[in-house]
Amino acid sequence: MEKTILIPIDFRIESLNTLKYALAERKQEKSTIILMYSQYISDSITELLFYNPAKVIKALASSDFNDAIAIISNTHECSLHTVKIELFNGLNKNAFLNFHQAHGVDLTYLPKDYCLKPHKNGFDPIPLIKKSKVEYREVAWTSDHPTTNKDELNQLFN
Amino acid sequence: MSSIRKITLLLVLSISLILCFLGSSVFYFLSNYSYADFYKRLELRASVAEKRHFESNQRDAQVLKNIREEHLELLSDEKEYIFYCPNVSAIKQVSDTNSLPIELLNLVYNRGFANYQKDDIFYFGRKRETPNGFYFIIISAKNYYNTHHLILLKKVLLVGGFIFILIIIYLTNLFSKRFFDPIDKIITKVNTISTENIHLRLDEVKNSVEIKRLTTTFNNLLNRIEIAFETNKNFISNASHEFGTPLTAIIGEADVALLKDRTPSEYKEALQKILKQSERLNKISQSLLFLAQIGYKDNKFNYAVLRTDELILQANEIMNQLIPKNNIKIDFELLPENPKKLKIMGNKELLILAITNIITNACKYSSNKPVIVSLASTNNDIVIIVKDQGIGIPESELPFICDPFFRASNTAAYDGYGIGLPLTQNIIKIHKGELVISSLLQKGVTVQVKLPIAKF
Repeated sequence: MEKTILIPIDFRIESLNTLKYALAERKQEKSTIILMYSQYISDSITELLFYNPAKVIKALASSDFNDAIAIISNTHECSLHTVKIELFNGLNKNAFLNFHQAHGVDLTYLPKDYCLKPHKNGFDPIPLIKKSKVEYREVAWTSDHPTTNKDELNQLFN
Repeated sequence: MSSIRKITLLLVLSISLILCFLGSSVFYFLSNYSYADFYKRLELRASVAEKRHFESNQRDAQVLKNIREEHLELLSDEKEYIFYCPNVSAIKQVSDTNSLPIELLNLVYNRGFANYQKDDIFYFGRKRETPNGFYFIIISAKNYYNTHHLILLKKVLLVGGFIFILIIIYLTNLFSKRFFDPIDKIITKVNTISTENIHLRLDEVKNSVEIKRLTTTFNNLLNRIEIAFETNKNFISNASHEFGTPLTAIIGEADVALLKDRTPSEYKEALQKILKQSERLNKISQSLLFLAQIGYKDNKFNYAVLRTDELILQANEIMNQLIPKNNIKIDFELLPENPKKLKIMGNKELLILAITNIITNACKYSSNKPVIVSLASTNNDIVIIVKDQGIGIPESELPFICDPFFRASNTAAYDGYGIGLPLTQNIIKIHKGELVISSLLQKGVTVQVKLPIAKF
């Protein structure tokens, strides 16, 4: 049975560890992954007129970040259907539930210790997700090897 | 031709073309309309004249005449002709007596009504048939509007267009100068930078995004050039130091041995020391030669399709022989499912040498603490990551870490002469790969190697 998995991200490679461990847990089942980035939408009418989610995602995702997604996708080629990145612009619980329903999400995976560090205009949706009482699981990872604060591909390997 | 001229010329040409098109179309449609409108006015006058002339009721005729005089303006040179023509053959005679063009009368006769223009006089004619012949009702007038207003319009369009183009030339010149001014400044500033003052940088520009990007690009380029310069300087001092140390030891040992007569065992000991230092010297010069060979661009190596996981396992075996106490963990957790994504084109010996070099460094500078070697693949590259928990590299020395003979300031306690990493970098470079080293001082170094996947 194919399931749709929702994972909140902050466009930093470290946040993709949630995806890595979630997929390791679900090797037998086929999954569709939705990576959700939460962002406040602009108030400016001109900005809204030219608002294009695809462009926003393209600007936020660095080439290393795309490489990291490719690495994980290659690792789970058989059990993975698609990985897509979606923007969530809602502010409250109902908006999240709406998003949840619209994408047919079956299960949400959250990082346990890692705290999302969103970019400008972004926000951390985890409290909202927990408050929404949707089904979620938490994954934790530890790293023996300290890493620099830079966003580097090696943060995926620990 | 300079860019300013080019932009001005292009803009002016295109704008004048558009302006010409606009002006001529305005003129064309307006003159067309004025002709049509003028014939309509003539037609109206003709029909009023006809009604008035053929109206049997005197009072109605008077009313029509009043309306005509009060409400219909008299056109310039307006003339009204109503005459009787008994048959076709009389047309010629009628035209002669009234000095009207014969073509007009023929047209009117054939069609019932007609528009006609001769020189600047416009005619409208209508035919009214009666049982014993027919009447011609002709109105002629000069088109004052056409002759005067349209000429004025033509003048306005020409002069206005000309002035407009002058303004455009001025403005484009002004704007393109303003646009190119910062570029000129950059050129002058860059020209002043030479080998003596390579530390100079361009000033940040605030109001233009593109120019700002250009200056940052230039500054980054200068940074890299400065580093390359320093690398060159470092190389000579490091190399002379590396070659100097064993030579000093050899000379010192020989000097001491020759100071007085020694026993054979003492000579033997001294010679052995000299031999050891010479071997070291030999090793350094040989590895330097090898480094130079690999760096040489036209070198042809035997390339084959290789599996990177096998390379890592073989490197691990070599490591087990070299450093039996090592603590290497191989992490294949993120190995791709598709084995095709593990294959690269490369020279097996060189790549194993590069990988063992990196792992040896990781083991050596971490005193055999755990070293993790991971392998993964993106859609285009293989990624090999080696993480250690060693002494790290000071951040200020990271740019020089791949220079021959360079050794970080905190490596005095470890044996080595700074050839391994440059060699590794050259090997990866000839495989069109990428070597990224990041480090936290005292905590460890992460080495990331990217090699392009073989395309089949």
